[in-house]
Amino acid sequence: MRSQEHSFGRTQDWIEMTRSDGSTGAVLPPDTAGTHSHRLGIIAVIATFGGLLFGYDTGVINGALEPLKEDLGLSTFTEGFVVSILIFGAAIGALVGGRLSDKFGRRHNILLLAIVFMVGTLGCVLAPTWEVLALFRFILGLAVGGASATVPVYLSEISPAERRGSVVTRNEVMIVSGQFAAFIINAIIFNVWGEHDSVWRFMLLVAVAPAIVLFVGMLRMPESPRWLVLQGRDDEALEVLKQVRSPERAEAEMAEVHRLAEEEKLSKTGGATDLSVRWIRRLIYIGVGLGVFQQFTGINSVMYYGTQLLGDAGFSANAAIVANILNGLFSVLGISVGLYLMNKVDRRKMLLGGFALTTTFHLLVGLSALLLPDGTVKAYFILVFVVLFVFCMQGTIGPLVWLMLAEIFPLKIRSFAIGVCVFALWIANAAVALLFPPVVDALGIAPTFFIFVVLGLLALVFIYTQVPETRGQSLEELEDRFRKEYS
Amino acid sequence: MSVLVAVTDSPEGIHSLSAAADEAALLGTDLIAVNLTLGKLDLSVLPEDCKVTVVEREGREDRDPVAAVLDELEVFPDVTRLVIGIRKRSRVGKALLGSVSQRLLLTSPVSVLAVKAP
Repeated sequence: MRSQEHSFGRTQDWIEMTRSDGSTGAVLPPDTAGTHSHRLGIIAVIATFGGLLFGYDTGVINGALEPLKEDLGLSTFTEGFVVSILIFGAAIGALVGGRLSDKFGRRHNILLLAIVFMVGTLGCVLAPTWEVLALFRFILGLAVGGASATVPVYLSEISPAERRGSVVTRNEVMIVSGQFAAFIINAIIFNVWGEHDSVWRFMLLVAVAPAIVLFVGMLRMPESPRWLVLQGRDDEALEVLKQVRSPERAEAEMAEVHRLAEEEKLSKTGGATDLSVRWIRRLIYIGVGLGVFQQFTGINSVMYYGTQLLGDAGFSANAAIVANILNGLFSVLGISVGLYLMNKVDRRKMLLGGFALTTTFHLLVGLSALLLPDGTVKAYFILVFVVLFVFCMQGTIGPLVWLMLAEIFPLKIRSFAIGVCVFALWIANAAVALLFPPVVDALGIAPTFFIFVVLGLLALVFIYTQVPETRGQSLEELEDRFRKEYS
Repeated sequence: MSVLVAVTDSPEGIHSLSAAADEAALLGTDLIAVNLTLGKLDLSVLPEDCKVTVVEREGREDRDPVAAVLDELEVFPDVTRLVIGIRKRSRVGKALLGSVSQRLLLTSPVSVLAVKAP
């Protein structure tokens, strides 16, 4: 999850920090190159394996699902259940993971997550029945949720301010790349060994490799200096900083680390009692709405069920799993465009434009499924529209919702508020994943996508009437504005 | 002999701040304001000569506003009056979101002045 960090400006090579409330902070010496930058690079790579696992474990089910369904005898409901239970697990994992990493440390948490990833994966691979599979998918989900809460925090805390944004961005790209990688590897495995009943077990097994890399790698990684400061372990914090910054920078940054640790402590002040304040409640409704409508685009239905969807559209089993790779590819391309556009376009414009595009492509998928005669042409039309939907989604709504969640809440309630919104987002994700197969089975592709069109129109109304513009405004300005407007 | 006011983010909260200043002037003592809002306190409602110490909520221990206020009452042992703002709540309102003022009224170790917004 992104965190709102402060910006910086370069004055004669020294980095001048601007705080998230707009005031000027310390001026830090530049982080010159040295052995420590090499180490920092390795740390960033290893930690992003957490994001990769997140993507891989959520994407691997796509492609494994058909053979799995045959092998374990799943109905459309149990299919949805097995897929979505991971997401329900992630909702809980995100809540619990955040608290655990505050209590025991980020590094400790990531190591624990790597072990849970390994146990969950092996449990799924060896599961004799769908009930056992569902149990271990739930366990995997806990790890996925925990990783989503801990890894971006660790990365932003260990990186120097001037690299923070790009390192956290890289994590988001790693998540979709993990899904993309899962699609490619599944396609290869299926086309080579597809005739075996248990081919899906091998597909799921691949995920254990990055988990091992993450575990072994994290063993040699330092703890986050900011967390150490929060525990009162200043000496250890300075030692860690010396490992990943130039010597002058390490000393100077300690004050900055203290300040950020203080800010983090403040962000945990507000809680459920503060919901009695109307403008806070309103902001939380907006945040929850953004998350839920993001999931109601059905983007994750495509990420989890893409192969089957394309199969229903008219592709053969072998062709569908290969065509599905395009979904992964355009997801990665989309998010790269989205991250580029992020601060160049007004938020409301980008959201409204994004939903307009995704709703249009939903409509086109529905119309193609309804009106075109069955055959290769119909299959390709649906493929193109689905891929374009994925691209537009990841290029606008996808990253933008996370950004806005980090921006709209006042500092003191941020931790609680984002926690609530993220939980709602995961639940919406899980609900769509649970319902997609039975609904497509009962109604067919066209009516299902027309339902998405209706949800998209509701989203447009919601954004137009409820969501504020936040680009270019400082936290103080936003807080004053919200208090006035929403009281 | 000080007066401590728990300022919530509401009309009665804002009113309780000026009422507490009046009370402090009446008793001839100083004022401690515990900021239960999520932003900065607006001290412009107070008279020029009022001496006020503002205490902020910080961190997870202060998540429950009632616990935060009770902690401050321990930190400032010479407080003799707690001022809170109250308004009429529906039964559902009280049940769903609890009432900070109600709990403070019942658990406060010192006398409580409950003021209603005009």
